[in-house]
Amino acid sequence: MSTEIKDEGPNFDRAKILIVDDDPELRMALKLRLRANHFETVSASDGYSAIALAQKERPNLIILDLGLPAGNGFTVLKRLQESDSLSHIPVIVLTARDPQANELRSLDSGATAFFQKPADNNELLQVIRASLRSASAWGAALPS
Amino acid sequence: MPDSPTQVLLIEDNPGDADLVRLRLTESRRPVDVNCVNRLSDALAQIEAKPPSVVLLDLNLPDSHGTETFRKVLEKAPDLPVVILSGQEDEMLAMKAIHQGVQDYLVKGDMTSRNLERSMRYAVERQALLRSLEISRKQQLEFKNQFLSHVSHELRTPLTCIHQYASLLVDGISGPISPEQRDHLQVILRSVNQLHAMIRDLLEATRAESGKLRIEPRCLALVELVRQAIAMIRPLALDKRISVELESSDHIPLLYADPDRVLEVLINLLDNAVKFTPPEGRVTVKLNMQETDPEFAYVSVADNGRGISPEALPLIFERLYQDPDSVDGNRNGLGLGLYIAKELVNLHGGRIWVASQPGVGTTFTFNLPVYSLAKLLFPVITHQERLRNAIVLVRVHLKPLARPVRGNWKEVCRESLELLRRCVFVDKDLVLPAIATNGPEDTFYVVASTDMGHVNIMITRIIEQIGALASLKAIGTVTANARPVPIPTDGSDKSLNQQVEQVARGVTDLVVADLTSTSSFNQKEKTDVN
Repeated sequence: MSTEIKDEGPNFDRAKILIVDDDPELRMALKLRLRANHFETVSASDGYSAIALAQKERPNLIILDLGLPAGNGFTVLKRLQESDSLSHIPVIVLTARDPQANELRSLDSGATAFFQKPADNNELLQVIRASLRSASAWGAALPS
Repeated sequence: MPDSPTQVLLIEDNPGDADLVRLRLTESRRPVDVNCVNRLSDALAQIEAKPPSVVLLDLNLPDSHGTETFRKVLEKAPDLPVVILSGQEDEMLAMKAIHQGVQDYLVKGDMTSRNLERSMRYAVERQALLRSLEISRKQQLEFKNQFLSHVSHELRTPLTCIHQYASLLVDGISGPISPEQRDHLQVILRSVNQLHAMIRDLLEATRAESGKLRIEPRCLALVELVRQAIAMIRPLALDKRISVELESSDHIPLLYADPDRVLEVLINLLDNAVKFTPPEGRVTVKLNMQETDPEFAYVSVADNGRGISPEALPLIFERLYQDPDSVDGNRNGLGLGLYIAKELVNLHGGRIWVASQPGVGTTFTFNLPVYSLAKLLFPVITHQERLRNAIVLVRVHLKPLARPVRGNWKEVCRESLELLRRCVFVDKDLVLPAIATNGPEDTFYVVASTDMGHVNIMITRIIEQIGALASLKAIGTVTANARPVPIPTDGSDKSLNQQVEQVARGVTDLVVADLTSTSSFNQKEKTDVN
């Protein structure tokens, strides 16, 4: 069994993903998983540095936890939406919080997808690739 | 400190009795303000305008009699202390009143100033006590909810960590592993998933208990949903070589129910059936209508497993119930699944029950409300006591440009449905509510009273207007097409109602066929991946 999913369409090998989670071990696990799938990663542990890093690194996609110090996930979503240069970046919310109270709210706040932890890795990777594909269809620049 | 006067609302239509009560009240040592009305309707208005401290109630009034009288007062003001003043002794009636929340029952003839005063005072005290108990019960429930919600969130974080690192190992990302190590890691991952499911059930059960479980009903084709549930459970059944069959009678009407919740109930019942059926067993899902109850569709899940003992049967839907016979090394979860299933079915206005014979098998049955298509169609498709000549089913399909969906797709679909309602003739066409479909696409149907020639104008209008929605333009497309609905030609021997029902069945068949053709395509996609 392998988690590699055959890529259809453009190659996302060097797409850069920003991981935002306050738990260092979860951040590390996600980083290992994404790097094994040939993504580049950068990570932030709070809302404030998430925005700063998004501006500096211009990631192709953001994986965002909701419960964060210094500006929770919804604040981050709002700030991203308000920024002309960042609002096109697809954001996947990955949280331990309850979907009943948070899924619609996340999607309404501009998230592309919502996953509750623990998420199925294959599903998450599929949605990451699909999001990158549709984002590139919308003109967001991917590294060539 | 002097007591402020007790506000008494006396509801009594006999002037003599009213005077007697007033006299007794003025004799009492505590100050009272008496307000007397002689009709129940006036009393209810008074209670609404200015709630008294206590109600003294005669049961037989010009506009209400007997038990009805106190029932209506309690319904209006459940927190108000009510003392019944009755003409005669009636132990049965008195007990009934007390059980329903009345504080005391006095016979007018035996009434002294002292016992009336005492009865009123105690009634007020007891009611206040009840109220504070109820408030603290609610607070405790709320606290429990918050506690569980907090705990489950905190449990999920380390659980996610276990899941992530075990799957990094299993997928070989942290280096090569032996087949035995892989097996062991799979056990860890399976257990993590079980724990995750338990936490989810715990939250659902708590929500059910505090009335916070919500459903979002739509129009749905039951057969489709059952097929989906069976497809989901099949891998588990195949492991035990258990067959899962679907038997459906023709013409199951469209239902009005929450597709996600119905799927949850179905999965729950199927999962139980597979769990408690020995290898090579058989699980059958039956869908049917019952002549005596045309407003509901019936679903049953039957297995030929070991059955449930008669003692256990009445307890099976209780929270945390687990069959003591099944403690055989199998992990059973928390015993919340059937409780949640029952709550969900009840929320739809349906019922769920079980029949079982030890050694032979178990059948769970539930019913769900039918979307009353025929009733809604009647004014639309009939004209001057006859069916219209031509009827067309228009299908409007909204499809996101990309998956996953960008932006607020659900809101766009709602907006489109609103717009669709304005694209049709209010009195000639019927827009069905959104139909449950697999995935993010949304489908709406219009039953139009026109012919295929004229319907093209409507379709053009729909595509132009919905297609022009700014919010849709960026993220999705709209298509529309139409099919004629068969109209019964042998109308002479049937009543108009029967003919309308026949048309409604025709519409349902077209919708179901349409949904089946798209979702069977989806299922094919899935099997190819496996």
